[in-house]
This record gives sequence, C-alpha cells and structure tokens, in this order.
Amino acid sequence: MSDTPALPPDDESDALAAEYVLGVLDLPERLSAEARLRTDRAFAERVARWENRFAPLNEGYEDAPAPPEVFARIEARLFPRAPLRRGGWLGWALAGLAAAVAVLAFVFLPLLQPGPEHLARLAAQDGATAYEATWVEGDLTITRVAGDPAPQGQVHELWLIPPGGAPVALGLLESAPLTIATAKPQAGWTLAVSLEPAGGSPTGQPTGPVIMAAEIGA
Amino acid sequence: MEDPVADLLTRCAAQDRAAFAALYRDTSAKLMGVLLRILGRRSEAEDALQEVYTRAWLRAGRYDPQKGRGMTWLIAIARNHAIDRLRARRPEAEEAGEDRLALVADATPRAETRLVALGEVARMRDCFDRLEPDRAEAVRGAYLVGLSYAELAARHAVPLNTLRTWLRRSLLRLRECLDQ
Repeated sequence: MSDTPALPPDDESDALAAEYVLGVLDLPERLSAEARLRTDRAFAERVARWENRFAPLNEGYEDAPAPPEVFARIEARLFPRAPLRRGGWLGWALAGLAAAVAVLAFVFLPLLQPGPEHLARLAAQDGATAYEATWVEGDLTITRVAGDPAPQGQVHELWLIPPGGAPVALGLLESAPLTIATAKPQAGWTLAVSLEPAGGSPTGQPTGPVIMAAEIGA
Repeated sequence: MEDPVADLLTRCAAQDRAAFAALYRDTSAKLMGVLLRILGRRSEAEDALQEVYTRAWLRAGRYDPQKGRGMTWLIAIARNHAIDRLRARRPEAEEAGEDRLALVADATPRAETRLVALGEVARMRDCFDRLEPDRAEAVRGAYLVGLSYAELAARHAVPLNTLRTWLRRSLLRLRECLDQ
C-alpha cells in the first residue's frame, strides 16, 4: 500500500491516525500503528482527536443487552480472591467489621509511613538483571535494581497476566523507572518481562523470550 | 458538560468496585451493541465484552476527562479490540464476509435519523454531505461495521490503492470541515 501519492508529513501522520481510528488498515499496518501509539505522544494525540471527531457516529450503534453473567466473569477475573457478599446477617457483620477497621485506620494511619508497598521482584535467570515492582496510591512503579536495559534495537516490555488470561501490555522498560496508573494487581497475578524489538511487541502479545516473571504475593 | 461515565471512570481509577459495577450497568448495552455490530457473532461479542471491561478497569487511570468524553473513550477501547479480532481472523473463517458488506446499507439511514438531533452531530452530517456520496458512505461504513480497505475496494469495485487515495483525501477534507 506504499504506492499511494505522498502527503506532506503532518497530513501523512494525521491520515494514518484517521485510518487507524476508522479501522480500515490490515493487520500488519494496524499493529505497527499500535506500536507507534505506545511510543509517539504526538501520534497518540492525533488518534485521540480523531476519536473525538468521529464520536458523533457512535449514535449509529444500537444498544444490545449484555448478559449479566458476563459481569460476574469479569469480576471473577479481576478480583479473584475477594468475593463481595451482600445482604443477610453476613453483610451486616462485614459492614460492622469494616467500620471497626475504618476507626482503627483513622487512629493508626497517621502513625504509619505512607511508603511504597513491595509487590514483586523480577530477576533474570542469571540474576544479572532485576526489576522491583512497587505500589503507591494508584501507581504501579517498576524500577531496574540490577543490570542494564535491553541491548540497542531491543526493549524490555512489561506484562500483567491474570490467572488463566492473556497478557496485558503495561509498558516499555527503558532507562527511567516506569510508572503506570492502573488498578492494583491482585495476588496470584503474574508480572513478566519479555525481550521485544524496539518500540515494543508488534502484536500486542509477547513475541520475544520471557526473560523474567514473578507472581504477586508469592 | 456533565459526563457521568467520566465520573465513574475516575472512581474506577481509584479502585472503586461499586463504580465499576455501575459503569457496567450503564454502558454495557452500548458496548455490546458496538461489539455485536462489528463482530457479528454473539458468543464472540460476549468474549470481547469481557476483555473490554478488563482493559477499562486496568486503564481507567489513564483516562483524561480533559481529552474527551467517557463514553467516547470506552467505545474506542471496544472498537479497537473488535477490529483487532476481525483483522486477526483467518480468511477461511470469514465466511460471513458478504453479510458484513450488507450491514452497511442497512445501518446508514437509521444512523442518520438519529444524527439529526444533536448539535455536533448535525455538523458532522453537514461535513459528510460535502463529500461525494459514495465516499461518505465508505467512511461511515468503515467506522460502524469495521470494513477494511480490501473490503471497501471490493464493494466499490476499484483498485485498493485508488480507494485508499480517495479515502485519505476525504478524511483530510472531513477534518478541515469538522475543525472549523
């Protein structure tokens, strides 16, 4: 598709952003646009502007009822160890317990240091490279604590893997620590680092070797 | 402007599970409509719906209300995921291909009658009216149903590169008109 007439560079980027939002690209072009989205801020802004421009077309989608059991599956996947129980005496007992905890927290919280919570340490098999995952008030931070970033032309990519689920790309680990605003990863979830071509995995799933992994709370 | 979906997303970013349940209650019918329209199969749309809300919860912290409405952000996640699935299908698995083309004609008039109501939506219709009718239809069809360049080229019986050239020109003209 490269033999279409060239546009000025700005229009070229903007046309590609529009084509991505519209959805007309074939798979390889789509994946390369997605890789660019993760690293090229200006391109991500263009895509966001096109999403807003096209938003009035969303009126053309009719509602279709979603089965309630799908939400139960989503909750089971995201919150595997904390079933919410409602109603009955147990509900009241839990509410009482929560109130007691809240009072205790109110009394003791000022005494506690609001320090980062350690989630996991990821180390390569030879121990030469290692990352530390910590959690502070809504942010997951991954810091390299030993070794070097990936060699020239490659990058370490971070993944979050829910039990039985597909890996979700969280970001690229380069020189500086990576901080991501995300939901708190639950115990039993796995953090993994794979070696990918510069710019990150072209497919949205790990393509290179997984060089380190650790289960949260293990 | 009031944006209850944006408020729910902000609360999701703060790990509020009740807000997440409310988000599903208030937006899942719309997202299911999007996924069903693009994917065509209910079982696949339900799988995709699960994936879309998982991503919405995990990425809620990256949603910025300054940059767009909550519903627009959610629909973008749903459309992108559905189109990724569509493009990853093997050609022989795409037995419903011709039906997907038929969906476009079916969709357009209904969309238009609803579009008249709102202000920004009326402007979009004006801008579409300034394009050649077949090009406006190609853009709308691609957006709503997820048609690829290859499918559009077959539908309009023109070589793929020709189609791409005129579609790109139409997009830039649309931008000029919408940004005025």
